[in-house]
Amino acid sequence: MSKVNTIEVKALTKVFDKDVKAVDGISFNVEEGEILGFLGPNGAGKTTTLNMLSTLLRPTSGTATINGHDILTEPDAVRRSIGYVFQDTTLDIDLTGRENLDFHGRLYGLDRNMRQQRIKELLGLVQLTDRADDLVKTYSGGMKRRLEIARGLLHHPKVLFLDEPTLGLDPQTRRSIWEHIQRLNQEKNVTIILTTHYTEEADYLCKRILIIDFGKIVVLDTPDNLKARLKGDVISLLFKNPAAIEKFRPLLESKSWIHRINVVTSGNNYITMSRMIQTAPTMSDNVDMGGNMPEMDSRTIGSNKKLQKSSKQKSKQPVTDESRQFVDETCPKCLNLLVDKGGHRIPEIVKLADEAGVILESVELRKPTLDDVFLSVTGRNIREEKGSVLDMVRRHRIMRQARGQRVRG
Amino acid sequence: MKMVQPLSGQAIYVVLLRELKRYWRAKARVISSVAQSIFFLAVFGLGLGGFIGGFGGVNYLSYMAPGIIGMGLLFGSVFSGVSIIFDRQFGFMKEMLVAPVSRTSIIIGKILGGATTATIQGIILMAVAGIMGAFTPSLALLAGAFAAVGAMLLITAGFVGLGVAIGSTLNDFHAFQLLSTFVMWPMFMLSGVFFPIDVAPLPLQVAMLCDPMFYGVELLRWCLLGTGTELLGSLGWLISLAVVAGFDVLMVGLGTYLFSRSQI
Repeated sequence: MSKVNTIEVKALTKVFDKDVKAVDGISFNVEEGEILGFLGPNGAGKTTTLNMLSTLLRPTSGTATINGHDILTEPDAVRRSIGYVFQDTTLDIDLTGRENLDFHGRLYGLDRNMRQQRIKELLGLVQLTDRADDLVKTYSGGMKRRLEIARGLLHHPKVLFLDEPTLGLDPQTRRSIWEHIQRLNQEKNVTIILTTHYTEEADYLCKRILIIDFGKIVVLDTPDNLKARLKGDVISLLFKNPAAIEKFRPLLESKSWIHRINVVTSGNNYITMSRMIQTAPTMSDNVDMGGNMPEMDSRTIGSNKKLQKSSKQKSKQPVTDESRQFVDETCPKCLNLLVDKGGHRIPEIVKLADEAGVILESVELRKPTLDDVFLSVTGRNIREEKGSVLDMVRRHRIMRQARGQRVRG
Repeated sequence: MKMVQPLSGQAIYVVLLRELKRYWRAKARVISSVAQSIFFLAVFGLGLGGFIGGFGGVNYLSYMAPGIIGMGLLFGSVFSGVSIIFDRQFGFMKEMLVAPVSRTSIIIGKILGGATTATIQGIILMAVAGIMGAFTPSLALLAGAFAAVGAMLLITAGFVGLGVAIGSTLNDFHAFQLLSTFVMWPMFMLSGVFFPIDVAPLPLQVAMLCDPMFYGVELLRWCLLGTGTELLGSLGWLISLAVVAGFDVLMVGLGTYLFSRSQI
């Protein structure tokens, strides 16, 4: 017997003013007890979709059912079936943790005994029992997040929406939230949709991942299947001089064993990270580097000017955070190659580089990650906000409009 | 979308409860408001009063007291309504909006909560004015004080509604200063707190008659002093009551309407 679909989405569409399609006819089902991840860059349509599913926004067309209730015709029943943990905190910081939970329980019509019993249980689950009677304004970011997750579960929803549950949290807290989410899912059999732009998070938590971009579903599959789509290994090449990328790339393109070549900015591997940190202190010498780069967009040129100006003003000063950020944005570029039998290809690549007179700084061999999958299906690195300037403008327009929407009654 | 939404007693109660808890914890705000009223009563009521004497057989301190209570009510209630800007800014509004309760229940709770806290403020001010000797102790005063509490609830409900309407339209804190200068202060100054409408020149009289707070103060004066302005006559209390009630209906309606149209 097949499992029950707790969520069924049919051709859901949201068009904001001026024909901006934030969500463009998406359809999918979520099985009972499943954790589904929405993965996509900012402005892809993740939050807009959740807002429609939670009845906060009215779809332009299409509909969905949650726990058997239609979002258009039975909004109250839908609201009772869901818990929604928003991206920005929605706690009342002038109340205590317990009062926030109690308030929620009353809003959902739970009687006194039930409230007390569930609040006690949930506080234990998210390990906030000893801080329950402190004002929320004294909580850390991670504690607030845990409290919100507990609150979302108080009325025993069939479905929990988590919008960027670990955004801005440190790795340790992030890990503990992941464990909480997993435990809830197993103990309470709650169906969960979470949005994230951390690929590791989606990989760790989700049974299936839905990659969404410009309001459309790009792909929907299990993390393993997604990674298996990219057959072979990934080789990352980092160059001493980033300008060498354009020189070296044509040589690689003629090789049949290379399936895909991507230029990655603000890299996702260890080498690029460590190089960024090393390069930062000497940046004032390298200001002209940005100008040599072929793929500059207006934003990086802007920050480049800012950097020049600031380095003139205080040239003897230690490097500021601002210039470090500049380095993050433009400096490290590496080539990611998708190849068969990667280990055997490294000597060949090194030989090619030698012959071409290109100096390699490092070579890294690894299995494809979800980052690589994302890159291959959308053509962009997930954390790379730039893409083309046009894309950026489009995304920001969508997000601005999504924020100013009137809510449903 | 259905225009008429079911009201939920539980939801109204819980929003009201939240207002009370927050009021109780914001002691600095309560203290500063009470202190401000004491300054007014002491400096104007006792100081200026020594020079003016009084109006229509009532000494100046007693004349001013209902107006100063009205000031506390006015500022307390409008700001409590406008505080939905903060709820929206700090996200708590979403928590209420995604719950299975109607917008109308939320806003009724908000208005009742704001009216209750502002009235508590008013009762404190009434006691302070009493201690300062503004009212003559009598059985009639006791009855009047109870009537005044009812009047306070009635007066503040409309102003919380006005605050909610403003808060649903404005989107940032910076408008606060404008609100204070162009809405609250004129309403306070024109409410007849410092002088009776009878002695004012005609244009000022017209302006005062357009100020809803004028009728609120008038109503309080009838409750606590048993007298009102000559202009409205002996049925002044009834006229004031009618205007205040009408203002309530108008503002609660407007606040609810604008709130239900507001954005996240």
